[in-house]
Amino acid sequence: MPAAQRADVVVVGAGLAGLTAARALAAAGLDVAVVEARDRVGGRTVNHDLGDGQVVEAGGQFVGPTQNRVLALATALGIATYPTHDRGARVYVHNGRARRFTGDVMPDPAALPGLALTILRVDRLSRQVPLDAPWRARHARRWDAVPFASWIRHAGAGRGALDLVDVFLASGFGAPATEASLLYALWYIAGMGDERTPGTITRGIATTGGAQEARFVGGSQSLSTTMAQALGDRVTLGAPVRAIEQDASTVTVRSEGRTWIARHAIVALPPALAARIAWTPLLPPQQDALFQRMAFGTLMKCEAVYDEPFWRDDDLSGQGVFRSGSPLCSTFDNTPTSGHPGVLMGFLGGQQWRTWSGRSARERRGAVLRSFAQVAGRRALHPRGYFEQDWTSEEWTRGGPTSAIGPGVLTTLGEWRDRPFGRVRWAGAEHANHWNGYMDGAVRSGEAAARAVLDQED
Amino acid sequence: MTVAPLSEVAETAVLAAPVERVWAVVDDTRRYGEWVVGVLEVTEHHGPATVGRSYSEHNRTVGPLTTRSTWTVREIEPVRLRVDTGTGFAPMHDMTNTFTFRPVTVDGAAATEMTYRVTYRPGWGAVGRLIDRVQQPGLRTAFQASMRNLETIAISEAELPE
Repeated sequence: MPAAQRADVVVVGAGLAGLTAARALAAAGLDVAVVEARDRVGGRTVNHDLGDGQVVEAGGQFVGPTQNRVLALATALGIATYPTHDRGARVYVHNGRARRFTGDVMPDPAALPGLALTILRVDRLSRQVPLDAPWRARHARRWDAVPFASWIRHAGAGRGALDLVDVFLASGFGAPATEASLLYALWYIAGMGDERTPGTITRGIATTGGAQEARFVGGSQSLSTTMAQALGDRVTLGAPVRAIEQDASTVTVRSEGRTWIARHAIVALPPALAARIAWTPLLPPQQDALFQRMAFGTLMKCEAVYDEPFWRDDDLSGQGVFRSGSPLCSTFDNTPTSGHPGVLMGFLGGQQWRTWSGRSARERRGAVLRSFAQVAGRRALHPRGYFEQDWTSEEWTRGGPTSAIGPGVLTTLGEWRDRPFGRVRWAGAEHANHWNGYMDGAVRSGEAAARAVLDQED
Repeated sequence: MTVAPLSEVAETAVLAAPVERVWAVVDDTRRYGEWVVGVLEVTEHHGPATVGRSYSEHNRTVGPLTTRSTWTVREIEPVRLRVDTGTGFAPMHDMTNTFTFRPVTVDGAAATEMTYRVTYRPGWGAVGRLIDRVQQPGLRTAFQASMRNLETIAISEAELPE
């Protein structure tokens, strides 16, 4: 058995959060070791190779205004952004009818008043939620006792508004509004901003001016691969951490046949996976209970590849919103910045994942292509390639894109989310107040964890 | 007592997909809700069609009205013929649904000529015959739309190029 490797800090998980933390610690002169279960870095960001040097994102990919920390990281790494294709008409699909529309107002007059009312009320209430301690909101207990869906229904917003909120949440949480508490939903939306700009639903759902505004040249995974390259052999791949032990002076991280001993550890994993590690001493029961309740939603990305983005010639953006009748909730033009090949991407999440993940791959692909045809024309039925990335079947993620926390959890266990456990600190997109569950949240959490370790070292 | 004569509605279309792919969809009793216009939901099914076995549907009839129907598979000739009989469409009785398929070539590509035929005996005397006359144009439109839906499904589930 190889001798234990010693370091100042061991970082568990080489996604954006872990690598951001490791990069900051290494820059501060600390000896850092990064331990990653997969044979790649990037966590929930992963590039799919299209050939000819082109890639497309199969995981987290979009970035937008107020996501300052991931944008600053990209700038520091020399990785540019480019705008998500947002020219041309969008398509709204409901009851088997596909209708073009421009701007942000969907052609669903029956649903729009209720949706507008819901957005206004959610934005207003979310400003009453303290981002760093949502359980201290004046109505925290009341709001945490109610599923988000029940609140929408009781507010009289109507079926259409709830359907459209679920469209947003299918890709946002990977779960419907029945599964998140109102308090959690308000807090999540409150975080869709930065220290100076309050979060709003509109910023979360918009393309231009919102969270889907831009993409990274070379794909979002290049942020992680670039950081890992600079860290060099401080990053160990293919080493799933099975046990973490700690005493008054050291923390010992054990993989299969390898051991790291350090003064500090930063665990940058999905919370539900962190809870599966064998901890000695045991995780505090409140923290363990919280992490287990932060299981990820269900989401896959479905992408079809064409010789060209032909829909652009027909003045279509490739963006679609599906209120019903499709496995997808929304689609985007995911063509690389070079303009070819053409790629359409659809989110298949939440309730629809539960329906469609059990169907045969051929039937699912057919249904996805028919949905693409509704937003891009019948040529979309004839791709030259197609792939799916089902995040639920990724052993080291087990779902996506993030957690949807149900009623009664945030007010009773929420304060345990970031609480250090001895010499262990936490990072990951779910450990951020701004842009929780997003790449920006991951970077923020990694920076915060590194700062905390450095403060302790001083 | 006189027995009403059989009515027949039949439509033919050419589907731009090979007959094997078309048959693969038609053969699955679970999937009628995906392509047959008027089938709101298949409530019970037995997967690949089997002679003598049944499946049930929730169907739209006229306007907001719906009905529950049960179909029994009577005859199968793979990639050529499928015959089912159904109940639950009063005042129409002795309902028989027949799909026939023939491989054809269109612009050098494999395609399928499909005929969608339904025969039934209208009940309720003159009233039933009147209803039958009124519903036939709608049925023809629905059959054509169903076959277009089937074509789209078959195309979307085709093998992808290597």
